[in-house]
Amino acid sequence: MAAITREQPRAWATGAKAQRRLGRIGTYAMLGLGAAVILVPLYWMIATSLKAESKLFVLPPQIMPDPIVWRNYVDVWTIQPFTGYFINTIFITALAMGGEILSCALVAYGFARFRFPGRDALFIVLLGTMMLPGIITMIPAFMIWRALGRIDTFSPLTVGALFAWGPSYIFLLRQFFLTIPREIEEAAIIDGANVIDVFWKIMLPLVKPALLAIAVLSFNGNWNNFMGPLIYLNTPAKYPVILGLYTFAGSLSQEAPKWNYMMAMTVIMSLPILLLYFRAQKYFIEGLTVGGVKG
Amino acid sequence: MIQSYLSALIDYALAAAGIALVMFLTYQLLPRLGVRREAATGFTLIMPWLLGFAIWTAYPIAASLYYSFTDYNVFQAPNWVGLGNYARILTRDPEFWPSLRLTLLYGAISLPLGLAGALGVAMLLARDVRGTGVWRTLYYLPAVLPGVAVVLLWQWLLGTDGLFNVALSPIYSLLGVGRPSWFTDERFVLPGLVIMSLWGVFGSNAVILLAGLKNIPVHLYESVEIDGGGAWVKFRHVTLPMVSPTLFYTLILGIIAAVKTFEPGLFIKLNARTSGTFLQVLIYGNAFAGGNSKMGYAAAMSWIMLAIILALTLLTFRGSAAFVFYEGERS
Repeated sequence: MAAITREQPRAWATGAKAQRRLGRIGTYAMLGLGAAVILVPLYWMIATSLKAESKLFVLPPQIMPDPIVWRNYVDVWTIQPFTGYFINTIFITALAMGGEILSCALVAYGFARFRFPGRDALFIVLLGTMMLPGIITMIPAFMIWRALGRIDTFSPLTVGALFAWGPSYIFLLRQFFLTIPREIEEAAIIDGANVIDVFWKIMLPLVKPALLAIAVLSFNGNWNNFMGPLIYLNTPAKYPVILGLYTFAGSLSQEAPKWNYMMAMTVIMSLPILLLYFRAQKYFIEGLTVGGVKG
Repeated sequence: MIQSYLSALIDYALAAAGIALVMFLTYQLLPRLGVRREAATGFTLIMPWLLGFAIWTAYPIAASLYYSFTDYNVFQAPNWVGLGNYARILTRDPEFWPSLRLTLLYGAISLPLGLAGALGVAMLLARDVRGTGVWRTLYYLPAVLPGVAVVLLWQWLLGTDGLFNVALSPIYSLLGVGRPSWFTDERFVLPGLVIMSLWGVFGSNAVILLAGLKNIPVHLYESVEIDGGGAWVKFRHVTLPMVSPTLFYTLILGIIAAVKTFEPGLFIKLNARTSGTFLQVLIYGNAFAGGNSKMGYAAAMSWIMLAIILALTLLTFRGSAAFVFYEGERS
């Protein structure tokens, strides 16, 4: 592509217009190349998941799986109790998400709207906790849960969410609350509404885009959380999907790795996130880019 | 199983009730102590975070610092060992230095490559192309996949007979070399990890940088054009300085993420003594894995890791004065 665009211009056109056109073609060519880099591995993941075991290593590699083995999906689902893993994941994600969103919204509203001594200092502390690597607090947190007798339960993975973990979510919501004119609340307060009414009935509906962005991020974070379950859960029946995948991969690599099964499992694990991402990608990207531009 | 869900729900409800009670008391008691109503409301609202900060951040930081000076191992009370853990990590642990080397090299290679690639893609997307939304969605895709899924996928792609090697085999035979087995051969572990991480992040960084590029006012480019400046002048004197705060932000996040890398080291069997593994995997191994519970030792290692992150961040901040341009900082 590049060779053609460099040699050809004078032959068929001259001037700035032609140059711009070539620039456009080059732009799309490079973007297309980048997209291929992203998509080929993903395609390979899906293609592998549909191949028969005997076709995994044939040369040249099968671009289209032949035969298409849908059974791989049924097999991986039954080899390990993946139905249970999914229920566990949904349970953990739902509780953690709910607690996280509600508590972060309350805290963000407090920081955005009310003046109190030490507010700015506390907010800087909050932003500072974003930089702290989780591993520092992990060992003592583990000790707390151990002292409470909660190792191998879902509590360490869900209860913490009520304490507004996720400083970046608070930051994002606060930025949104700050853009809402005060007059709206003041009018409601004159009409006799209390703080909870104002928060629940007026402010939350107004920051709905930010709440959706956080919901998506929080879903992603909890669904993909690996280290938490790894440290706290021991009983296989309590595993979320990600730990199921981990032990599955471990048990398979003992023998010759069955990559068709591994990839089928990877597809299943990624599917809910991908569906959510395609439906809500606007919020996803909004949530992730706000820190970079306004921060 | 139903029982484990129920008991988690009960814990959850109890914690929620506890937080609500503290909030209620704050709201009722602070005004009686002479605090203004508005301030009391503010404190009440941030109470969940304030409690969480005390219980899950401040106390653990203090406790972990204390553990790092002891031989704590869960089963018996901690004994004070002074700087013993730190000295052992830095001088006698055969796994520490290779792992530090791997972690830092991994960051030092993958970060600049990833950012340069991301900036390139972002600049392409910023030239008003058709269907920006579609491109953006596409490029962001790998970043939403579970880390575990990405690692498994690349273990398969970069296997000795994987797609990557098969696709490159003409080049290998041209150079007269055999197919590298990326994740089992010591010499290729690092490049393999870098390839995997680049695929995972360059697109998402591009999307963040794109948001920064979109904020650059067009008149800056126009004035370069009036002065007769070309594409390079535009890039060097408008794009780069204007996007530098965003670049800086992605760089800081990238440093932290690189030092904290975990999943690849757990899935790909890295030899901690020779090629090294990721620091976080080493800490996890010492604290939790395989019947080990050298909590004190692992805590000391996590503090060394924090020191490294802080040092790198500070260096970047220092260096940033030279390359990051904040509009409105000086006229």
